[in-house]
Amino acid sequence: MNRRRRTEILIQDKGNLAEKFAEAILTTYEYREITAPHYGLTMIKVRETAKNSLFYIGEVLVTEAKMEINNCIGTGIVAGMEEKLAKQLALIDAAYKAELSETILWESQLIAAECEIRNAKAKEQAELVSTKVNFETMEI
Amino acid sequence: MGYVPVKGGTEAIEASIKRVKYERLKGEAIIEIETILSTMRALVDQVMSESSLYSPHLAALAIKQAEGSMEEAVFLMRAHRSTLPRLYYSEPVETENMFVQRRISASFKDIPGGQLLGATYDYTHRLLDFDLIDEKKADYTHWLQRYFKELQEVDVQENIQHFPKVVEYLRNEGLFAQYEIDNTQPEDITKQSLEFPASRSARLQVLTRGQTGAVTSLAYASLRGYGEVHPTVGEVRVGSLPIYVKHPNEAASSEEEEFYIGDIQVTEVESFVPVNVKNDKNEEELDFEIGYGICYGQNETKAIAISILDQCLEHAHAEYPTHDEEFVLLHIDSVESSGFISHLKLPHYVTFQSKLDSIRQVKKGAQVIES
Repeated sequence: MNRRRRTEILIQDKGNLAEKFAEAILTTYEYREITAPHYGLTMIKVRETAKNSLFYIGEVLVTEAKMEINNCIGTGIVAGMEEKLAKQLALIDAAYKAELSETILWESQLIAAECEIRNAKAKEQAELVSTKVNFETMEI
Repeated sequence: MGYVPVKGGTEAIEASIKRVKYERLKGEAIIEIETILSTMRALVDQVMSESSLYSPHLAALAIKQAEGSMEEAVFLMRAHRSTLPRLYYSEPVETENMFVQRRISASFKDIPGGQLLGATYDYTHRLLDFDLIDEKKADYTHWLQRYFKELQEVDVQENIQHFPKVVEYLRNEGLFAQYEIDNTQPEDITKQSLEFPASRSARLQVLTRGQTGAVTSLAYASLRGYGEVHPTVGEVRVGSLPIYVKHPNEAASSEEEEFYIGDIQVTEVESFVPVNVKNDKNEEELDFEIGYGICYGQNETKAIAISILDQCLEHAHAEYPTHDEEFVLLHIDSVESSGFISHLKLPHYVTFQSKLDSIRQVKKGAQVIES
């Protein structure tokens, strides 16, 4: 599974799977903390829709960590103050880079979690749709 | 008169700092960060927007520390931001990917996807709710349970809908000008000083982090005649946007290898502004332009006001202050304006004495002439 899709699931899953996957790696492989979780900023670039140009809306606080497994360095980045999750994401990223066999087993769990996330979002959207206006044109 | 260095006041300052802490604690009740996050959504959003730093947790902490003072909370956030390294720049965020929580149009009754009111105070009675004085946990738990039960009956679709933009609908009809995708790297006013004439990117960056009150007041002034922009709101949308960053050392990495880092909530506005333009025959005809506004969190007044000022600044006009980018952009920043005003409280003993001396000399001179 590609990184974009994987990180979407691991972060939107509130870190449940990330904790489980990272735990499995920590108990099986040797690892090295390259960069301890630390706070920093990400500047957000937005495309405005009046003239389709780019501008910076502002920064978002992020936590970043870097971990190494089998000479492969993984990076974990997540918005907010999330030291634990950043470290777990870095471990998982390193695991994918090192092509550890565990990553194959994670696939089905990630897909199941993705399905749950999608269902929860669809439910939230359906709840919001209850505020949709049904206009009735009055006859005068 | 030369400058005279003075010292003193250290003990008084220490005592004053204790006193301000005492003022925060003397009621022997404290507010938890979680309580601020749960109950003061609008305040948290405003602090994040004006400080230009998206972090609900830090904004809530700033609000607690500042005892609810907006200018102090924004100052704290800006100061904290300056201590942090900038690690990444996001990939361009396309707002059509927004997970919409609210979306309305004042221009059309029927818009593709429909009007979604979401959570808004627009239709509430502005009467104080005295029941909130004695609100108990059992009350709100009961209300929440009933509401969740109601929501269980909603019809859930399989796919998540991304609402099309109202403006795209009009562009496709040929009523609004089409603009090519412009990937020119934006200017960053936090890295280089604002210069005039300002680029569109610098202008939008200043507007989005502007003080809500200042931005609103100037846009209001434009509507009242101190400007030439009176738009119709094409679309207001509130929702969350996903943020992606590229790996810093994987230069050739594809979109699939980007990192998703989380979502931010924003309010986005497209205002339709009627303008007179010259056609091929040099005749004046009516056309529409778009004023654009966006800000962190749910702050619709600010986003609409930004869209008005965006359009004002697109058309410089010497007669109107709201069309003067130096006037607008240099006076809406919370830290700059409140900082400059409040510096007037600081000792100006020497400069004031100098002014007094001048007045004394003038008066003495006048007395000599009279005598």
